[in-house]
Amino acid sequence: MTKKNRYPDIVFIGQPNCGKSTLFNAIAGFKAQTSNFPGTTVQHTHSKVNVAGQVLNIIDLPGTYSLNPSDPAEKVALTHLFLEKPDLIINVIDASILGRSLELTLELIELGYPMIVALNMMDLAEKKGMVIDHQKLERILGAPVVLTIASHGRGIKNMIDRALHTLENQSAPPQILWSKDVEDKVVEFAREIPEEFPLVANKRFTSIKMIEASQLLFNRMLREINLPLKKALDRVRSDLEEMHNAPAYEVIAAERHHLALKIFEESTQVKRGVRIDPLKKVDDIIMHPVLGYFILILIFLGFFFVIFKVGSPIEELLLDPLSNFRYYLSTHLGLSLYFYLLDGFLQGVAGGIAIVLPYFIPLLFLMSLLEDVGYLARAGFLMDTFMHRIGLHGKSVSPFILGFGCNVPAIVSTRILESRRDRIITSLLIPFIPCSARTTVILALVAFYLGPIWALGFYVFNILLLGVIGRLITLFYKVPSPGLILEIPSLKVPSLINILRKTYFQLRSFVSFAWPILIAGSVFLGIIQFLNLDRIINLVLSPLVAGGLGLPQEVGVTLVFGFLRKELSLIMMLQALGVRYQDLMTIISKEQLIVFTVFISFFVPCLSTVAILWKEIGKRVALISVALNTGVAVTVSLIVRLVLHF
Amino acid sequence: MISLMDAPPDTPLRVIAFHGGHGVRRRLLALGFHKDDVIELDSRSILGGPVLVRDLTSDTSVALGRGVAQKIMVEIIDQKK
Repeated sequence: MTKKNRYPDIVFIGQPNCGKSTLFNAIAGFKAQTSNFPGTTVQHTHSKVNVAGQVLNIIDLPGTYSLNPSDPAEKVALTHLFLEKPDLIINVIDASILGRSLELTLELIELGYPMIVALNMMDLAEKKGMVIDHQKLERILGAPVVLTIASHGRGIKNMIDRALHTLENQSAPPQILWSKDVEDKVVEFAREIPEEFPLVANKRFTSIKMIEASQLLFNRMLREINLPLKKALDRVRSDLEEMHNAPAYEVIAAERHHLALKIFEESTQVKRGVRIDPLKKVDDIIMHPVLGYFILILIFLGFFFVIFKVGSPIEELLLDPLSNFRYYLSTHLGLSLYFYLLDGFLQGVAGGIAIVLPYFIPLLFLMSLLEDVGYLARAGFLMDTFMHRIGLHGKSVSPFILGFGCNVPAIVSTRILESRRDRIITSLLIPFIPCSARTTVILALVAFYLGPIWALGFYVFNILLLGVIGRLITLFYKVPSPGLILEIPSLKVPSLINILRKTYFQLRSFVSFAWPILIAGSVFLGIIQFLNLDRIINLVLSPLVAGGLGLPQEVGVTLVFGFLRKELSLIMMLQALGVRYQDLMTIISKEQLIVFTVFISFFVPCLSTVAILWKEIGKRVALISVALNTGVAVTVSLIVRLVLHF
Repeated sequence: MISLMDAPPDTPLRVIAFHGGHGVRRRLLALGFHKDDVIELDSRSILGGPVLVRDLTSDTSVALGRGVAQKIMVEIIDQKK
């Protein structure tokens, strides 16, 4: 493809948590998700924007610490950078940790692509007493340096101007050379690379990356395809190792580190004494070995409380008119196909509005708040000890917490985990976390009829069960976990705009993705009922549903449809039993209610969860997940039934 | 030379060496943890849990599992010098 007949690609790249997505959003609108947790953008986001009459294809890549990937999310960033040569790189830097961030900048300069540097979070840097001479930095780096505060939308226009200018000139920063002995070795190896060799970016960059390469596979492949080159590589590596008494990749990393620190010192003055951040004191409390847990528990209780207090009254307000309307319909249309279709459709729409949204919105909002402040990483630190008991570590906490909202993004976010083992175990456990759809069912059935304490108890039980299952999985899956290495970003004052943006973004994806499935499923069930097919399904499932679980035979079909989306089960149970929500208890008993909720909560993950497991982790894990959930649902429901019976 | 696990909290330490596998070493390097960096162990570390480490050279905070911390060798910086 020639450059002329496509839009220029502009890539945003930066270390995790540098405000890259916020900056990207400021230009692209409400597209990428942002948060204060390392590694939240796990997929890249494309957006076509029209800036000053020019259409640009801007791409937000997952945060990456370096161009040597160590987790799947970082690999996404690199594949994009290496395979599709961008026309411009915008390197976003958290100015408050300039020294470390420059290491990635130096690596990007090695690529030799046109680039500009956006010094973001300048307000935070100033608070830390840092005075950055950005003009000097620009001279040293040889690339335009702009100042931005993405969360306040400051500096965006200037950044776009400089970006367009650099894009037009296609001017790449000159290479910054390392100390002579290391540089000589890089050049020495670069000379050995044959002309026809598939280069990434340029010869120097390819040479550096080959010296740094870790994968055994790569080394073995090279020996197969070009033995002399492999020998030259080994020689250069061992020379470097001998000279510096460290592995070659560490020698190169140290070069960048020292260069970055030198540039940092030359361009920045740090005023001592102003460094005490008021947020530091807050941090002392929330990370405290005793108080920290207390606060963690309080936050989750508060979570539960707000959702219950905000969601439940709204739901009650909405349910009555809707069910009245349904009765009105049934008296006017009779039991015709028309009625079943319209009724199914309405139930689906109502399910979205009256049941899901009141719980989903407050949950999304609170979660975005926790992420934006930077609490998630801290929760990971505090929970690490407990996670070790189920064979994982603190980094899995963030996907788990996301799972309370929706299991689908939670499974995607396991990409932040470096080891495949951790990813598999975390992904198998996520479907056991009550997502907002299941929370709806728990609240609407357990909390509404039996009281909030029962619902809370259900949650505690659910989390304990998660622990037991995690423990069991690690008994069978004996691969050691590499252990926790998690950056703790500085606490940030939350930005309401950021939080609202993120809430809106997730809500929109729910409305456009899940709601149609909900409505379609509901209509489908209406048709099945009209054709009396539900009787057949109920009869087939009867031994399990009525015999095993002791539930009314009629709910059999709803369990099957819980597979489409979990909250469907609730609506469909009411539909199948032919009662209004308020009258439910006249038909089924307390015990049946609990058994039903238990079964629905743990039974097969919903369709979208299975699909994402299949796509992200693989077919085997998806199938194991289905089997595991079904097994657990049946076993636990039977036990609960027995316990409640006595 | 002592392991980071045995080092006293809130005292400047110098990183001498990383033991352990390449994966862990590379991860630490990427996060800005290098040999010769000055680091401090945070006193807020949890009993039996992970430790919180501040890298004063790179100005970052990182939570490390005990297994990882055990593999980082440090020396106490003599402040009188």
